[in-house]
Amino acid sequence: MKFYIALWFGKLINGLISIVDKSRGTNLAGEKAMKIDPRLVAHFKGIDPQKVLFITGTNGKSTTNNMIHHIFVNNGKNVVTNLEGANLIYGVATALIKASTMSGRVKGDYFIFETDERYVPVIRKQLPAANLLITNLQKDQVQRNGDPDYIYRKLMDATKLGDIKLFLNNDEPRAKSFDESGSKIVTYGAAKHADAFTKGDSYVTMACPKCHHKIVFDYYNNDGVGKFHCENCGHSSNKTADYNVTDVDFENRKFKMDGIEFDMPYDTPYMLYNYAAALAVAKEFGGISLEDAAKAFGSFKNVEGRYEILKYKGKTIKYMRIKQENPETLQTCINVMASDPNRKMVALGLCPLIDMIPNYANSFYAFDCDLSKLVKSDVESYFCFSDRVCYDTANRFIYEGVDPDMISTADTEDVNIIFRKIEEAETDNIYLITWLHTYYTMRKYIDKEGNK
Amino acid sequence: MSEFKIAWLFPDTLFLHGERGNILALSRFAKMAGHTPTVYKVDFNTKEFDPDAFDVIFCAPGEISSFPAVIEWLTPYKEKLEAFVDQGRPLIVTGTSVALFGSRILRQDGSEIVGLNLISVISKENEDVYGDDNFFKCVYNEQQMKIIGNQIQMIDIDEIDETKGERPFGELIYGYGNCGKNTKEGIIKGNSVFTNTLGPMLVCNPMLTIEIVRVACEKHGKDFQDIDFDMSLENQSYDTKKEFILTKESELTNCKR
Repeated sequence: MKFYIALWFGKLINGLISIVDKSRGTNLAGEKAMKIDPRLVAHFKGIDPQKVLFITGTNGKSTTNNMIHHIFVNNGKNVVTNLEGANLIYGVATALIKASTMSGRVKGDYFIFETDERYVPVIRKQLPAANLLITNLQKDQVQRNGDPDYIYRKLMDATKLGDIKLFLNNDEPRAKSFDESGSKIVTYGAAKHADAFTKGDSYVTMACPKCHHKIVFDYYNNDGVGKFHCENCGHSSNKTADYNVTDVDFENRKFKMDGIEFDMPYDTPYMLYNYAAALAVAKEFGGISLEDAAKAFGSFKNVEGRYEILKYKGKTIKYMRIKQENPETLQTCINVMASDPNRKMVALGLCPLIDMIPNYANSFYAFDCDLSKLVKSDVESYFCFSDRVCYDTANRFIYEGVDPDMISTADTEDVNIIFRKIEEAETDNIYLITWLHTYYTMRKYIDKEGNK
Repeated sequence: MSEFKIAWLFPDTLFLHGERGNILALSRFAKMAGHTPTVYKVDFNTKEFDPDAFDVIFCAPGEISSFPAVIEWLTPYKEKLEAFVDQGRPLIVTGTSVALFGSRILRQDGSEIVGLNLISVISKENEDVYGDDNFFKCVYNEQQMKIIGNQIQMIDIDEIDETKGERPFGELIYGYGNCGKNTKEGIIKGNSVFTNTLGPMLVCNPMLTIEIVRVACEKHGKDFQDIDFDMSLENQSYDTKKEFILTKESELTNCKR
C-alpha cells in the first residue's frame, strides 16, 4: 500500500509541476515519493532487468543518453528514460512515476537511464540493470569525489551485483579496466583522427587502474582518451574496439563504422565516443542495425548549452561549457580554440565552486591542461572573468608564456561587464567558456540585448 | 648559471589536482634566482635515485590505492631521503601524499599501509571527501607569511610528535587543516614541508616559493640572486580569496574567522 500512496503522490506532484512549468521538477516527484516508500524504484512492475541500461561515467552521460534515445525512438522503440539529466535515484524514480500506470506498471520496450557514477550501486540495488555503459572515469568534482579511484571503487562494487553486460570505452584506461568484471564485454572507440594530439613531457598522464604504474598514451583523441598501454602490466586499449568509429572527416562532417557512412551532427572530437557508444548500444541492446541507426544521425540535436553559436551585436560568440574541476572538458575547449586558425578573443570564466557548502575558489585543474597550442594560435586577447578566481586564471595564461599585456581580468560574473568587454574586442570571433550556470544567465542577456 | 635540479616524484602515479603548477613555479623562480632549472621525473623506470643530487624534491598527491607500489619503490632510498630532510633541504609534499611519508596509513576497509616513516604521523582515510579553501599563517626560512590554497581532504592526520623535530607547518585562520578539529595545518621538519595545501600552492603564494628556492640554494652551496618579482597579480588573487574565505558560509568550527 505504501508503494501506491508514494506513486500517486508522485503523480500528483508531476501533474502540479506540469501546470506550473513543464521544464522543472525532474527530481522532485521522485524525491517526495521516496520519502513515503524508500524502495519505490524496486516496486514498479513490468521492468525486465535485461531491458535496463544505465549510462554512467564522468563525461558524456547526458549526450550519449540523448543520442541513444534519439536512435531508438527513430527506430520505433518505446524508451523510458531521464533525458533531463536528473541522474540520481530520484531522477530515475521521477521518470518511472511519469511512465507508469496508476497501478505502477511501466510500459516500455527499453529502460535507459543516465546515472551519476557515485550512485550506480545505490540505484542498482533497487533496479538491477543487466547492462551498464561506462563512458570514462576521469578527474572531476574533486570537492565531492576526491580522486577518480574513489569513484572507481564504488563502480567496481556495483558491477559485482549479479551478471552484467558492460559497454566500455576502449580508449579510456579506467573504463576499459572493467573488462574483467562483466559477464559480457562490448568495447567501443575511435580510430586516430586528424585532431588527435600528444602532450609535452611536463604533463602528467595517470596511474594504471590495475597496477598503479604509468599509463602511456600513444596519442589522445580527446583529453585522457586515446590509444594507451600500461608500461608495467600490459593493460591497454584493444587494437580495434568492437564498435569503432573510423574515417573521421571533420570538414565534411562524416565518419564510418564497419564501412557504413554516418552524418556527424557535431564535429567536435569528444562526440566521436558518444557516437560509437550509441551505435554499440543500438546494435547490441536494441537490435538496431548500423544502417537503421545511421538514418537517425543527421537529425540529432544535443541538449542545449554544450556548444552553442550565438550572435551578439555583430559578433559570433562560440560558447563552450566546461564542467568545473574537470580538466578534460577544459582541455577539449582549449583544443577547439587552438584549432581555429582565425584571430580570436578568449573569454574564460572558471568561476568558484558554489554548488555545495562550503563554496570554494578552485581553479587548479587548469594546470593539468596543455594551453601551448592555443597560445601559439592567433589570439587577439584573453579575458579572465568570474568571482575570486579570475586572477589565478590570468596567472595560468602567464605561466604558459602569454604576455600579461594581452590579458585583462574582471573579478565578477556581471554580464554587463563581461559583454562590454566582448564588445570592445576588434575581432568578431569570440570564444566564451564558462560552466553551465553562467551560460543560462548569459543566454538571457544575449536574447535581451544582443540585437539592439 | 648553474643547474637547479628538481626531482618530481612519480608524476604519473601521484598525478592529482594540477600540482604540475608547483613544478612550473619552482622552475620559474629558480631561473629568477640565477639558475637553469631542470626537472627530473623519478618513477618506476628510474634506474638509480640519489636524493642528494637534487636541490628540491617535490611530491604531489595521488590515489591512496597507488601508495603501496610507490612506498615499495622508495623504501630502498629511505635513508637517503631522511638525510636530505635532516640536512635542512626542501622536500615538498602536498595533499594525500603527506601520508606516504608518515608512519602508517589506516584505510577505511580496515587495512593498513606502512609508510616511509620520514615523519611520525599516522594518517587515517576518511569515509567522505572534504574540499574547501584553506588560509593559514606560517614561518618558513624565518619569514612570516600567510598562505591561501585549497584542500581536498581524504585523510586525517593525527597528532604531531614535536619531540622528533616535527611541528605544524601552519596555524589555520580558516580551513580543515590536518583533521578539522584544531588549527594545525601540515607538518614542517627542518625545511621540508608536508602540507594539505593545493592550489597550486607555489603558484599562488610566490613568497613561499622564493624562500624554498633560497633555502635549496643555501643548503646546496649555490648562489641565490635576489629576486625582484612583481606580485601584484598574486596579491589581487590573495585579497579577493581572503575576503571570500572570511565571509563565506561554512560548517567548520575549528577556527574563529
